[in-house]
Amino acid sequence: MTVYIVLKLIWTGLLGVLLTGLGLMVGMDMGVGTLLRFIGRDDAERRTMLNIIGPHWDGNQVWFVLGGGAIFAAFPSLYGTSFSVFYVVMILLLFSMILRPAAFEFRSKVSNKYWRSSWDVAFLISGFVPMFAYGVTIGNILEGVGYHFLWTGQYIQDENFLSYLINPFAILCGLMSVALSVQQAGSMLMLRAEEPLYSRAKNYASPGGIIAAILFVIGGVWIQFIKGFALTAPVDYNMPANPLHGQSVVMREGAWMDNFHAHPVLWILPAIGVFCMIASSVLLRLDRAGLAWWLGAGSWFGTIATVGAAMFPFLMPSSTRPDQSLSTWNATGSEYGLICMLVATSIFMPIIICYTAWCYHVMRGKVSVRDVLNSHDSY
Amino acid sequence: MDLINPHVVDLSRFQFAMTALYHFMFVPLTLGLTFLLAAIETVYVVTGREIYRKMAKFWGHLFAINFALGVATGLTMEFEFGTNWSMYSHFFGDLFGTPLALEGLMAFFMESTFVGLLVFGWDRLSRASHLAVTYLVAAGSNLSALWILIANAGMNVPEGTHFDPDTMRMQFDSFVHLVFSEDAQAKFVHTSVAGYVAASMLIMGISAFYLLRRQHREMALRSFRIATLFGLISSVAVITLGDVLGRMDYQKQPTKIAAIEGLWHTSKPPFAPWAAFALPDDAKQENHLEIGIPFVLTPLITHSFNQPITGMRELEEQADPHIRSGIIALTALKHYGETHSKQDLADFRAHEDDMGYGFLAMRHSPGQDVSTIPASELDRIVKQTQPDILPNVFVTFWSFRIMVVLGGYFFIFFAFTTLLSLRNKLESNRWILKLAVWSIPLPVMATEFGWITAEAGRQPWTVFNRLPTFLSSSSHTVSYMTFSLAGFILLYSVLIVAEFYLMFRFARRGPETHEPQEQNSQDSVVSNLNIVQGGH
Amino acid sequence: MPRYLSTLLKLAGLALALVIALLFAVFVGDQGPWYFAWVIGTVMIILISASGAALFDAQEQRNNLLNKENQS
Repeated sequence: MTVYIVLKLIWTGLLGVLLTGLGLMVGMDMGVGTLLRFIGRDDAERRTMLNIIGPHWDGNQVWFVLGGGAIFAAFPSLYGTSFSVFYVVMILLLFSMILRPAAFEFRSKVSNKYWRSSWDVAFLISGFVPMFAYGVTIGNILEGVGYHFLWTGQYIQDENFLSYLINPFAILCGLMSVALSVQQAGSMLMLRAEEPLYSRAKNYASPGGIIAAILFVIGGVWIQFIKGFALTAPVDYNMPANPLHGQSVVMREGAWMDNFHAHPVLWILPAIGVFCMIASSVLLRLDRAGLAWWLGAGSWFGTIATVGAAMFPFLMPSSTRPDQSLSTWNATGSEYGLICMLVATSIFMPIIICYTAWCYHVMRGKVSVRDVLNSHDSY
Repeated sequence: MDLINPHVVDLSRFQFAMTALYHFMFVPLTLGLTFLLAAIETVYVVTGREIYRKMAKFWGHLFAINFALGVATGLTMEFEFGTNWSMYSHFFGDLFGTPLALEGLMAFFMESTFVGLLVFGWDRLSRASHLAVTYLVAAGSNLSALWILIANAGMNVPEGTHFDPDTMRMQFDSFVHLVFSEDAQAKFVHTSVAGYVAASMLIMGISAFYLLRRQHREMALRSFRIATLFGLISSVAVITLGDVLGRMDYQKQPTKIAAIEGLWHTSKPPFAPWAAFALPDDAKQENHLEIGIPFVLTPLITHSFNQPITGMRELEEQADPHIRSGIIALTALKHYGETHSKQDLADFRAHEDDMGYGFLAMRHSPGQDVSTIPASELDRIVKQTQPDILPNVFVTFWSFRIMVVLGGYFFIFFAFTTLLSLRNKLESNRWILKLAVWSIPLPVMATEFGWITAEAGRQPWTVFNRLPTFLSSSSHTVSYMTFSLAGFILLYSVLIVAEFYLMFRFARRGPETHEPQEQNSQDSVVSNLNIVQGGH
Repeated sequence: MPRYLSTLLKLAGLALALVIALLFAVFVGDQGPWYFAWVIGTVMIILISASGAALFDAQEQRNNLLNKENQS
């Protein structure tokens, strides 16, 4: 195994870590946005909910930015192709994401009723749509995406955007992603809110894990009947990052299960996912929100890892030209670039985790309605 | 249907330019306001005087309103490379993506995580810790700019990278060359310090507004003093670095500097005049109504009295052999992709440096494929491609001049206000206060025109001399572009209205001071009620 | 922790910071003079503008004193 192959593998793993971190941290804040008008019955309660994630949403959102940046650097062709192929979905996601920072900063600065309820709707859109789009995208990738490349490296779209949106399997994935985000938001609200928000958060969030688990299992059964992708000839793992040559791939029903059949130990990943989803719901009912939050992290890990294990080595398979599917072996950056990024990540990731933890520590404790109303600084 | 649609390219460019200009209304203010906040808070921590704490909190809130939109619109910028410039991302992402990812890792994470504490941490942190948080936010936002401008310098003067025919993209090969490229250095300092100027002007303008209305005098005078000194030194630095950038363009991007100066014919030093006014005509390739100042151009650009600057018509002539050689390079490259033969690779290597010109010729070739150009057509296609190497001269020429005039104005203005502030004569010179209020948007305008100068002047390339803009965009349909453009226009208009409404409202209200000499007790009860109801 | 130990630790920390600053200055000053200028320049701008505020306080104090003397 050469250094380049090891780097390709490490970065595929890190891609999974990033997608997990993104789902977890961004999803939590998005869930609060989705639940805003359901849990917060009056304005004071809604403001309290916003202030619970107020000091942290900005930092959490960087997972999203970092996810984009890391895919750009470590998988340039994947970045350019996936974002373009899913243009309409990505633009919708972007529009809803843009609303969020503005909604946080603007909503509570004017006391007008209509002003505030408009921004509440913005929170609902910017909580629901991005998480839904996130799941939908992953669902579509599992089904294969219609594109091929020209000799210059330019991609050509072979499918209409409607097929990405009106697509039952993708919608299932989207709903599961929303369910996980709602569940995660609920645990955070229970950790830091007082009654009556606490009980309502419990009621809304605790089914989240169960629903996610059910959808996950349905998806798992469904995937057996979906055409997956499989290599028909061994590839040179060390191949230059160019999707035009070097792979021969077929589409076959149930091909996504090949890795699980070859390595039964992988079954532990979906098992972790389902266990964490169900257990975190149970723990929420038992008022153990802290532990439930960490099990929520486990749910995201289990989900992303299962998808990754099923697809490996594919990252975004092409349904119209399977040979040109983007994979771990042909979509990464150069060896030099991957080394640079790895060095930077191993220096800065621990630092980031340290200061993020410190910020949560500084802002720890329950946030009460009265504190929010009395502070000049609150959202 | 695999041909590039020029309308889609134009719409993609339009969308990127609009969203970038919009994003760049907020960014310079963030870059400068954070360090200004740090300066004010430093005075608070050192002297312990309550007024500085109030000032830091007040300007901090203004910063937060502005910061939110900077973050929101910044998301667009990052995503658009993927959604609209897929070929660019594929071709240049190995190098370009690295600084963007590093921006997230080492700057944006820090900035965004600590900005929460900056706003919410006043009661939970010690004075020194809060000051440290403010400095971290300031460092984070400027480091953010650093990585973005390193990436931008990579497009303008690609260093630390080479083309690899096996992966069909620019491979990243030197971190040090990328980060320490002269262009990146000068661009970063120029932009960051221009942000300092913009933020100084904002604080001075709003302070002047209070002084004119005789409100919040204690705070306004102090803020004005800090900001005017901040702005004065920064405006000197902006001008210095602007000069460095001009020389850099002269050395590395001759088409850009020729367009900036509206120089159609190679200059004749030392007499060569600097065009103070002209109406460049891109079609006829000449200037109308030119008013030049003799002997200025050569020393201004080359820092010498004898070096000529190549004119655009000469640059066009010189492009002829490069285009021919580029067509050979690209034909060989295409064959190499199919055959992987040593001969094709050798042919490509012999003409590799002109590859970008071959891409440029694609636009005029039959079926957008240079390998199928018949010998009889070659001369015509080369002729057609030649003018394409020049940027739009009118836009580059004028945006540069607007920027420069504004830059000079800031320097003079700051010098004046500093003098008046130091001698405590601001309040008796109401005209300068009024001027300060009206000058608030000018630095932002100057930075916008600076961006236009740099990026319009870079055309027709996205990666200078390597990849043309025409080839870089995603292969969308016009309807996709219409959808996203309409959405952006709608969304961004709503946001800008809300932003200005809040900023004006916030500035009019002023700080939450309850100074007895300014407000009677009834007023402060009312404002307290407002706080409970309105959040502020 | 005995007192001399904590003093020692503080000194060690300071020494480390100094060494890092020195290394930064040497390397960045060599490779990227403009970056170096930016760091120094920004610190200078902050210090000068902050001392401008301190100067303002001093001027105000003097004016107040002068006013009082004039009144009395």
